[in-house]
Amino acid sequence: MDAAGIPLTTLVQSISGLWRFRELVSLLVTRDLKVRYKRSVLGMGWTLLNPLLQMIVYTLVFSFIMKVGVPAFPVFILSGLLPWTLISVSIAGSAHCLLNNQGLIRKVAVPQLVWPIAIVASKLVDLVLSLVPFAAIAIAFGRGPRLAWLAVVPAMVCATVFSAGLALLFSSLTVFYRDMRHLVDILVQVWFYLTPVIYPVSFLDKLPYGWLRWPLRLNPATPIVLMFQEVLYEGRFPDPAEIGSAGAAALCVLVIGLGVFLRRQDQHILHF
Amino acid sequence: MPGAISFKDVGLCFRLYRERVDTLKEAVLGLFRHQKRYDDFWALKHVSLEVKAGESVGLIGHNGSGKSTLLKVAAGVLKPTLGQVRIEGRVSPMIELAAGFDPDLTGRDNIYLNGALMGHSRKVMAAKLDRIVEFSELGDFIDQPVKNYSSGMYARLGFSIAADVDPEILIIDEVLAVGDERFQAKCVERINAIRRSGCTILYVSHAMASVAELCDRVVVLDHGALAFDGPAAPAIARYHELLGFHPSTDVRAG
Repeated sequence: MDAAGIPLTTLVQSISGLWRFRELVSLLVTRDLKVRYKRSVLGMGWTLLNPLLQMIVYTLVFSFIMKVGVPAFPVFILSGLLPWTLISVSIAGSAHCLLNNQGLIRKVAVPQLVWPIAIVASKLVDLVLSLVPFAAIAIAFGRGPRLAWLAVVPAMVCATVFSAGLALLFSSLTVFYRDMRHLVDILVQVWFYLTPVIYPVSFLDKLPYGWLRWPLRLNPATPIVLMFQEVLYEGRFPDPAEIGSAGAAALCVLVIGLGVFLRRQDQHILHF
Repeated sequence: MPGAISFKDVGLCFRLYRERVDTLKEAVLGLFRHQKRYDDFWALKHVSLEVKAGESVGLIGHNGSGKSTLLKVAAGVLKPTLGQVRIEGRVSPMIELAAGFDPDLTGRDNIYLNGALMGHSRKVMAAKLDRIVEFSELGDFIDQPVKNYSSGMYARLGFSIAADVDPEILIIDEVLAVGDERFQAKCVERINAIRRSGCTILYVSHAMASVAELCDRVVVLDHGALAFDGPAAPAIARYHELLGFHPSTDVRAG
């Protein structure tokens, strides 16, 4: 961590500050969930419905119009969409969280880490809830409950750490560059197509352009999404190398995000 | 020792942009334009201040003299650009009383939210809840969303929460100007009680009478620099001198 140029004391202070304000995080999360679920007709249904609707669209496109040739495609696409949704909504939700809470940040000495972390935590709750309709669909396609599904827990840990890193990075950058949001929207879209969510990872290795394979292999989101597909779609425990690369990708992104955030957090208030 | 505040040669600089570079596009274009596009404004200059535990210190000065900035540094909201600040103890900032309120939540839920914003657990706040509600005199309104409150009710709830979190350092910024006279008197009484219990107080006000009443020591700020530090009466005189203004009906200082 020290390599990122952050004094150890700042790091320790920020993390212990986050721990001291854990009740605030849980309060913000429940408030967010309450507000979102109370004000819509379908309530919680939207969170569950969103990946399902996406699944139907992608299934129509990729197994009927352009045949990708993946068996039980809805289960495949859903197992990749679950982590991808966490990653993308965390980025989108956190981008403006510091600006939206500037009134408080200017007046109360709350560790600023609280805001992006609360966003990610609330999106994580959505992910956990989405596992229920996923299980129903998997069972319907004959890929019913497996013991390996338990490994979704470490997979979710990796996805959460990964998302937290990105949330920290983009929440801080947006304070300094307000147009970051538009850039982020495009970035997330492009990133989505570069990550093997709607197609199997083997497609990347079959690319006719060899020079493209290398940069694509460096995509840090790939090992995270793969881990979910191994566990939920293939129904097997990921091997240590697979867990290792997902964990390493998650940690790298967290170190970068945390590094940028901690280094610039004192400047945020001067740029609101 | 809990309650002590120490400022050592503190400077705080705001960067005032002539045209803001707050988009990526402008930042990239700016690389090709080499001219300074901001002015540095030092809101605090070489401020050194030692406040011992249990002392109540008043801060006075003209508008824009840096009082609120100094309080925000003491509250940990702003980090000094130069110098060192040491704050020992739990700080309860009454800077803007209703800052942490969520208009859609009820008064009761806002008590928990404000408690959490100061790092207090739900359990701790639950124990204080009845006392806070009673002091605020909000009655049944406590279960209404605060967006339905009048500004006076807002302020009452805010004060009641800030005054009941057992601070070791209480920071008060011009908050007594709200509420009706009876409630104001009640607030002053509460602040005096907190003061007697050994809490350190930093008090900002333009009402000289209340500064003289509440503070043994008064610090005068002038354009971000310390102009005087000492007993209330000469401090207020120095403040008036700096303003070039001599009120004819000066209550007790003069």
